[in-house]
Amino acid sequence: MKFLRDKNTRVLTICLAAVVTMVGMAYAAVPLYNLFCRVTGYGGTTQVAEADTGQVLDRTVEIRFDASTDHSMPWVFEPVQTKMTVHIGESVLAYYRATNPTNHPITGVATYNITPFKAAPYFSKIECFCFTEQTLAPGESMDMPVLFFVDPDLDETARLDDVRIITLSYTFYEAESDETNISSAGPDRGTASLD
Amino acid sequence: MSSEAAAHHDDHTPSYWSWKRWVYSTNHKDIGTMYLVFAILAGIIGGAMSGLIRWELAEPGLQVFNNGFWGNSHNYNVITAMHGLIMIFFMVMPAMIGGFGNWFVPLMIGAPDMAFPRMNNISFWLLPFSFSLLLLSMFVPGVGGDNGFGGGWVMYPPLSTSGHNGPAFDLVILSLHIAGVSSILGAINFITTIFNMRAPGMTLHKMPLFAWATLVTAFLLLLSVPVLAGALTMLLTDRNFGTTFFDPAGGGDPIMFQHLFWFFGHPEVYILILPGFGIISHIVSTFSRKPVFGYLGMAYAMVAIGFIGFIVWAHHMYTVGMNVNLKAYFVAATMIIAVPTGIKIFSWIATMWGGSISFRTPMIWAIGFIFLFTVGGVTGVMLANAGVDQAFHDTYYVVAHFHYVLSLGAVFSIFAGFYYWYEKIFGVKYNEMLANIQFFFFFVGANLIFFPQHFLGMAGMPRRYVDYSDGYAFWNMVSSIGYVVMLVGMFFFLLVLVESILLRNTPKRRPEANPWGESATTLEWTLSSPPPFHQFNELPKIK
Repeated sequence: MKFLRDKNTRVLTICLAAVVTMVGMAYAAVPLYNLFCRVTGYGGTTQVAEADTGQVLDRTVEIRFDASTDHSMPWVFEPVQTKMTVHIGESVLAYYRATNPTNHPITGVATYNITPFKAAPYFSKIECFCFTEQTLAPGESMDMPVLFFVDPDLDETARLDDVRIITLSYTFYEAESDETNISSAGPDRGTASLD
Repeated sequence: MSSEAAAHHDDHTPSYWSWKRWVYSTNHKDIGTMYLVFAILAGIIGGAMSGLIRWELAEPGLQVFNNGFWGNSHNYNVITAMHGLIMIFFMVMPAMIGGFGNWFVPLMIGAPDMAFPRMNNISFWLLPFSFSLLLLSMFVPGVGGDNGFGGGWVMYPPLSTSGHNGPAFDLVILSLHIAGVSSILGAINFITTIFNMRAPGMTLHKMPLFAWATLVTAFLLLLSVPVLAGALTMLLTDRNFGTTFFDPAGGGDPIMFQHLFWFFGHPEVYILILPGFGIISHIVSTFSRKPVFGYLGMAYAMVAIGFIGFIVWAHHMYTVGMNVNLKAYFVAATMIIAVPTGIKIFSWIATMWGGSISFRTPMIWAIGFIFLFTVGGVTGVMLANAGVDQAFHDTYYVVAHFHYVLSLGAVFSIFAGFYYWYEKIFGVKYNEMLANIQFFFFFVGANLIFFPQHFLGMAGMPRRYVDYSDGYAFWNMVSSIGYVVMLVGMFFFLLVLVESILLRNTPKRRPEANPWGESATTLEWTLSSPPPFHQFNELPKIK
């Protein structure tokens, strides 16, 4: 019986270790998922670069600019230019304009991606307002810069030969703070049921 | 009640009427019985909820959830979500794994009990508490002034985070955490029992297929449920403690919840069906009077299904915007599951082929299972195609598909097993005529409910809506009539139970150790019906 008990304890220990590992894996998925998106450009995740490569090609792409806000975010947010044609490799500065129409300061944070997704590994941002949180005073309006270039490697890749247009997209959310947490938990944020 | 054979074997058998016997129980058969009773009760509650759904959907417009007694359309969403969670976590899993698994895994492998009997007790008694919390969640605020959680069994954020600000969903999380602990403890128990307590001579390759099925299921539980627990904990902290795992405003991603959920969710649907595969194998073999065709192939087909089940999860989320190469992988991997599943279907048919088939009640249910599961499998191959799924995603076609494999597949295999082992479990014969009538109503009713839903889905009717346009009226009415037919079948099921209780002392109902003859070869048939309270004091030797 002693023998069986030891064997049982061993299986039990291994099983519990498997359970703990799987819970750990679920949490490890968070940074891994993030890393995976950055490395592969999955879901249109753009790249971050220190500077452009210095190489500028004749081939051009049209960049279109898209802006939206979360439903609970009161800012008015729109691109200054709707589209521009750029040479591949050329560093380009574009602006988005955000206005806080309310009478209290609001801090926002933007998420971003580009379409087509497959061009994301070749779309590099040098500077972007989306890297940090932005705060607008009541009634304040601000032009927010994004400095980017399209990596010349894009031209080397046959799979991307059909890329003529790249759409750059931002969504502004209200950054979580203690006060906003309470207001966003109010009943007015109840989601759609059908009635 | 307590059979003379049992009392004769063991003088320590406690009375049926002693509450300590059940609350303190460490006996695998008693715990199995409690699981079965629990599953029947939960099944009645979950089934009643589906009645409300079909009643509402019988006609266009709002019949039931029209701000009257049953509440508004949010409450409809609550009912569909609870129906799904109850049927999965509190009906099918307790019946298959807790009920039949506890009862017959130790008997089939020649073990005196489970490896950790006290842990077995905890596994069961966690469930009523978990179930109570889930039911309670329907009566506390979910969204604004509306009670309950209406976000479906998949619980996707942001609907389950910022979309449900009341405490209802916190109760659901707690409920599922407890149910998850119960499942994990049960899984560890089964793995340990099967690895360490097989009778001398019973190698893994001689082990009955139901024990194999339970072993694979236990591994799936062990590896998938902790991921659900992790994802639910992230939801909990997102909701209450300001983390942003699934909130884009803080750098999170709601899609990641879908990945985590389906990494659990897809193995989960195999957890629901694999024990049924094991049960069906025994029944088909017994009533065809032949050993099961391709035993090793059957066992390893289940292992293969279990393994592949972990690497196909994203086929539930083709529409989230994944790239075409990833879709191609998930399409191919998903379709590969049809191979081991096909091995099982064809092996059952090959077992019947040339056999001397007797159409007793369990065999009828088993053949019904094979047919219906195959229908569900075929629509599954359809849905595996990312291109086709783009149109079918979240339509009634999907509802029809998973009810064919679960509501008809898993449930039919549960009833097949229930009638196969009824005498062994309860120590009384049941009325075969009544049980066959139940089968007839279930078979006709279930097909009437779910087959028209294929048409509705192909016509574009979406899931999870309380109302629909007039064009879908006809087949919805047919579907609701099917529910009534199945309800009649349910009354016959209860009649079978009541009738066998009332007539338990008549000579015709006296149980036999092995009512099915020499083709019922597994070890539980070598014991009396019901088996003695403690069995295999001398371990059986397997040649």
